[in-house]
Amino acid sequence: MKLLIADDEQAVRALVHVTLEGDDYEILEAADGLEALEVARDENPSLVLLDIMMPRLDGLEVCRQLKSDPDTRDIVVVMLTAQAQDRDRDQGLAAGADDYFTKPFSPLALLNMVERVRQTPSQAG
Amino acid sequence: MRRLRVQLTVLLALLGLLVVAWGATIFLGARDAARTNASLLTTVDRFDALRRRSAELGRSFVSIESSRRAYLLTGDPGSYEAQLQAERRAKQLFGEVRKRAAPWRPILAPVVDQVAGDYRSWLLAGRLELRARQRGGSAAAARVAAGGRADRSFQRLRGRQTAFEEQLATLQATTGRSQGRTYRAAQTLALRTAVMVLAAVVLITFYLRRAVGAPADALRSASGRLARGDLDTPVELGVENELGAVASDLETMRRRLSGRMEALERLRHLSAQVVGATSLQRLTEVALGGLQPEVGATRAILGVVRRGGELRLRALAGFPDAGVADDIVKADPEIREVLPMTALRTGQVIGMTDLDQVARSETLLGLVARMGIRSLALVPLSSRGSFLGLLALCWTDRHLLDREQEALLGLAGNQIAGALEAALRLEEAERAAGEARAVFYAIADGVLLTDPYGRVTAINRALESLTGWTEADASGRPYADVLPVTGEQLLTRYGRKVPVVVSSAPILDPGGRVVGGVDVIRDVSREREIDEVKSALISTVSHELRTPLTLIHGFAELLVLRDMPIERRRSAAEEILEASRRLARLIDDLLSVSRMESGRLVLDPRPLDLAAVVERMLSPFRAMATTHTLRAKLPGALPVVWGDPDKVEQILTNLVGNAIKYSPEGGEVLVTVEHNEDSVQVSVRDQGIGMSPRDMGQLFEKFYRVDRDEVRRAGGTGLGLYITKRLVEMHGGHIWAESWPGVGSVFAFTLPTSAELAGSRGR
Repeated sequence: MKLLIADDEQAVRALVHVTLEGDDYEILEAADGLEALEVARDENPSLVLLDIMMPRLDGLEVCRQLKSDPDTRDIVVVMLTAQAQDRDRDQGLAAGADDYFTKPFSPLALLNMVERVRQTPSQAG
Repeated sequence: MRRLRVQLTVLLALLGLLVVAWGATIFLGARDAARTNASLLTTVDRFDALRRRSAELGRSFVSIESSRRAYLLTGDPGSYEAQLQAERRAKQLFGEVRKRAAPWRPILAPVVDQVAGDYRSWLLAGRLELRARQRGGSAAAARVAAGGRADRSFQRLRGRQTAFEEQLATLQATTGRSQGRTYRAAQTLALRTAVMVLAAVVLITFYLRRAVGAPADALRSASGRLARGDLDTPVELGVENELGAVASDLETMRRRLSGRMEALERLRHLSAQVVGATSLQRLTEVALGGLQPEVGATRAILGVVRRGGELRLRALAGFPDAGVADDIVKADPEIREVLPMTALRTGQVIGMTDLDQVARSETLLGLVARMGIRSLALVPLSSRGSFLGLLALCWTDRHLLDREQEALLGLAGNQIAGALEAALRLEEAERAAGEARAVFYAIADGVLLTDPYGRVTAINRALESLTGWTEADASGRPYADVLPVTGEQLLTRYGRKVPVVVSSAPILDPGGRVVGGVDVIRDVSREREIDEVKSALISTVSHELRTPLTLIHGFAELLVLRDMPIERRRSAAEEILEASRRLARLIDDLLSVSRMESGRLVLDPRPLDLAAVVERMLSPFRAMATTHTLRAKLPGALPVVWGDPDKVEQILTNLVGNAIKYSPEGGEVLVTVEHNEDSVQVSVRDQGIGMSPRDMGQLFEKFYRVDRDEVRRAGGTGLGLYITKRLVEMHGGHIWAESWPGVGSVFAFTLPTSAELAGSRGR
């Protein structure tokens, strides 16, 4: 299973990497929004983990564009937000995100979530 | 002064005399007339008797003649006898005539003698004829008679006798005339006396008119004028009698009344003037000016009771040296002991003289000498029952108040007190208005006042600068023109929109009617900005805190729950360590800002070897640097720099850290130290992304971050340069930056070389 982690913090990407290591995930990385959009379109991952506060294009906009494009609409988008306010969560859901994680998040919870997505038949591919 | 009475007495006496004289004249004249009348009657009787005898004598002559002629003709003895009888009768009559003519003998005697002579010659001639008859008969008698001697004698006698009677008649007429003259004389005398009496009466009347009547009229009209209140015309009669004395008294009365009226008039004038005096100084001057002509005082002091009941000096007038005010104030406690306050509070005017004798203490003696006064009048100023203060009138000479002056000062005191009350009230109102005005204009919020019709009457400075309207332009305009507020935004005169909070209240008069309105307009753009900054801060801090926290949490959880090879564990621990450092730095920065802003950050300046500090600071960077070259360019001899070593290192670390952070492609970071006159300049140059002038605008401000992807990617709190700038300024230096996008940036700062400057900004 292919998944994309988009976060401007290298350490956060590394954490996701380490968390999902060894379970035959193909992990793609992006350091900003535009890059995330490009990679998502090119690689068509099953899951995208999107940080909201990113340079060039923020996570909400990336999510919106992915969900408005028929080719990428089926990608499961999970927001990673450092902002715990309801406003941010609502904005994320409004932009079409399927789920969200608030930083700091539990790597095991992330792993569980990813597993759930993998086992959902429609999402397989 | 007794003249009128004397004159009147004399005049009446004179008049009496005249009347008596008149009466006497009339009495005497009447008596004379009566007498004359009586004598006249006698004379007339006598004349009548005389004339009767004379006539009888004449008749006896006729009867002698006729008897003689009858005898001559007839020779009758009877006729002869009759002739003799008639002759006897004639003789008798002659005697009577002579006797009766005796009073007029001188006049009548010759005539009677002549008649008698003619009678005798006639008798002789008659006898001749008689004898002739007796002897010769009738013929002889006729002859003798023919001679006519007897006839002629008779005729002569008759003539004589007629003449005598005529003389008698003449004499009788003469006597009558003389009697008439006597009457006329008496009449004339009475008339003259009457005229004199009349003249005297006229004279007396005239005199009385002049001496009594006219002055009395003048007095009457003068007293009438006085009664009507005309005090300007002097009372003057020009006579020196009792009426004159009355007039003189009236004149004195008029003068006094007039003086009183003038004093009242001046008092009224004083009242009008003091009412116009709005300052206490002016009031004192006007009061002195008004009272000086009345009582002669040349200086005045005004004391006013304060709220606490103490009398305080408020104004002086007429003192050549205004400095005495200080002396009076200094002597205040002693003056207070001497002042008869109780009497003054009852409204009594109190005069004091020979102050140099009265003053008991050295201080008061000195004060009296300094003031140069000898007498005082203390005039209490009370209005509607409350004691407001005291007007002290001063004389430089000895002056005793008389009762009139005392009363006048009491009255004047009432007038001045009224004005004083008004002046004090005005003073208080002006003070309050001044305070209100000062508050109005000084208050930081915009304030706008309107009339009941919503027209602007005033705006303050804050509102002028907020709206762009000047007070002069705004006055009289409708409220909505000057303050167009929609929602919570004010549209300024120049089209800018400013967020505001407006609170309004009506201005009410004591009766509760609306006389205007007040609007307080607070410019909340700063608050809004702060709100925005605050939420940006929270957002940033939250983000910056959560990112390292995510790493710590995540890697720690993995370490705990998952078996990992040793090198993985090590790298996870390193991530945790780095994230912890980052958290610590962030917290340090936040605390620094907080301490600096509250003034709790204190420098510990000391002489520094700047070269050593630079080298020490660079070494960790060099150790970590992979793509950057770190170089220091230091002059051979550096002066000693004053600074806090930790803080100077922090400044350098921040700048070098930024230089590395914002040159992601790597390159050289050059730290240069140069020596200027009394400072040392340190610059940090990089070859990084650089900034446009627009980006540099708020470079050194709190939480400012250049809005570019590279910058955002680089991460940071937006506090580093702010803290750096504050630290440089606390050292007495300054910091600036130059930058070119794509070329790189230079950040430079100075540090002073003298101890005085260093730390002068720190506390």
